[in-house]
Amino acid sequence: MQGDLLRLKIEPLKCICCGLCETSCSLNRDSVLTPMSSSIILHIDDKANYFGLVLKTKSEGLVLARPEGLMSGQQASGSSGSGSKPVLLREACDLCGGKAKCARACPTGCITLEE
Amino acid sequence: MYLRNGKIGVFDLATGEASVSELTEELAGDGVSSLATADKLSSIHGEDSLVFGTGVLTASFVPAACAGFIHAKKYSDGWSRFMPMLGFAGVEMKLSGFDFIVVKGISEKPGYLWVRDGIIEFVESADLKGKDSWTRIDKIRADQGDSKIHVISSGPWGDSKRECSQLVIDYWGGEDKAGLGGVFGEKNLLAVAVRGMGEIELAEPEKHFEDSVLLMREHILKLGQNQGLSSYSKVADRDDFKKLVHRHVACYGCPFPCRTFLKTDEAPNEMMLAIKDPGYLHYDIPALELAFASGMGARDATLALRMCAKAGVEPVAMMSNMRSGGAKVTPETIASVLADPIDLKAGRISNFEASFQDEGAYRNCLGLGLCPRYWSKVGFEKEELASFGESAVGKTLDI
Repeated sequence: MQGDLLRLKIEPLKCICCGLCETSCSLNRDSVLTPMSSSIILHIDDKANYFGLVLKTKSEGLVLARPEGLMSGQQASGSSGSGSKPVLLREACDLCGGKAKCARACPTGCITLEE
Repeated sequence: MYLRNGKIGVFDLATGEASVSELTEELAGDGVSSLATADKLSSIHGEDSLVFGTGVLTASFVPAACAGFIHAKKYSDGWSRFMPMLGFAGVEMKLSGFDFIVVKGISEKPGYLWVRDGIIEFVESADLKGKDSWTRIDKIRADQGDSKIHVISSGPWGDSKRECSQLVIDYWGGEDKAGLGGVFGEKNLLAVAVRGMGEIELAEPEKHFEDSVLLMREHILKLGQNQGLSSYSKVADRDDFKKLVHRHVACYGCPFPCRTFLKTDEAPNEMMLAIKDPGYLHYDIPALELAFASGMGARDATLALRMCAKAGVEPVAMMSNMRSGGAKVTPETIASVLADPIDLKAGRISNFEASFQDEGAYRNCLGLGLCPRYWSKVGFEKEELASFGESAVGKTLDI
């Protein structure tokens, strides 16, 4: 995810599906606990143990961080479940003003902030 | 009331009526003993009540704040049991708008409870009666159109009210060593489905986040490299187990997961979404120990536990009864027993309960909304946690 100088780097296979990135993103936006307003969304097919992340960015559209690899430039469509706020209506990542909370909360280094 | 919705949902299965009451200070007590609150709710709503509860820290940024619980008590004979509700189910319940949900009475028709946005409704579903837990979860998610719904369900063994049944949370078993699947069966309740899209307020959001991240980093330094279940139990140290490991999976907010997925139906290193149900998620330590002691290897043990989860039967009860009857314990022999639910001596065994030697510490930890397995490993320091109260709920927690 491109910022002026910083970007989020995601290594999907390091993800353990703890969900802290979602809630920390929403916390930065709304100062409450909820996964509903986050720019980063857990994508889970739990029965198959298939999980990864979807990040809405300003410059690259959706970044899909799937177990089999990264893909960017997707249209902002779809959702994290029909009951939740569609990706289309969510704000793009702003890196929390350069202190990306998701990267700070991520326990495994799956999400890191780099230049 | 920070980190609380302030609401108790009550659903009467006999009448189909839902109501909402306030989580008063009298009910909340010291605010940290959620199991005591559940006990009070049982005494108010009748001894056949099932109480689904969350802790005050559930869904917070405190490490491994994933826990809720399910509590059942019958005052007439002192029967009292509870099980942890881990994964994302406890968090989801709190975000659905309720701190506690009381389910009372017996439904005339089989169905499931559908909980979201402060609403509890009963969905009649005779077609799911007798079906395995995985079929129920798939059908409920498909019918409600949301793959992120979390489902607590029994299977045919729960429907037949067996004491040796187990509730399964999102396909996996390991929490219910209390036979609460049979309590679902007594109520004609096939499942409880929850989806949380609400918001929870914190007293000092930024401070809570910063303090929690700092504590988590300290824990990670202390714990070292995570190896999933084998970081918590030697039972997963076997070579045949390690050869089938796909990935380790955390519950909400846990930086050091104990859940390890083994693939039996495709290559463990397959990362594409190829097969929809390629294996099973292990975190039931006593079940794995007994499976190995019964002579099964990791692959057969995985198949056996998956079958038990689908059927809604507690695997230790199943295997120990087969062993005591002199039967060989294999996936095939288990399948033959599973086909027709019978009474098995359940016995009370421990999985997460064994995390603490002191039952009081276990209740305290779970009642706060924290995973007992994680916190017993990092050290359940009451003073350290009490200090989190200020930023989380605006007062020191009286743990």
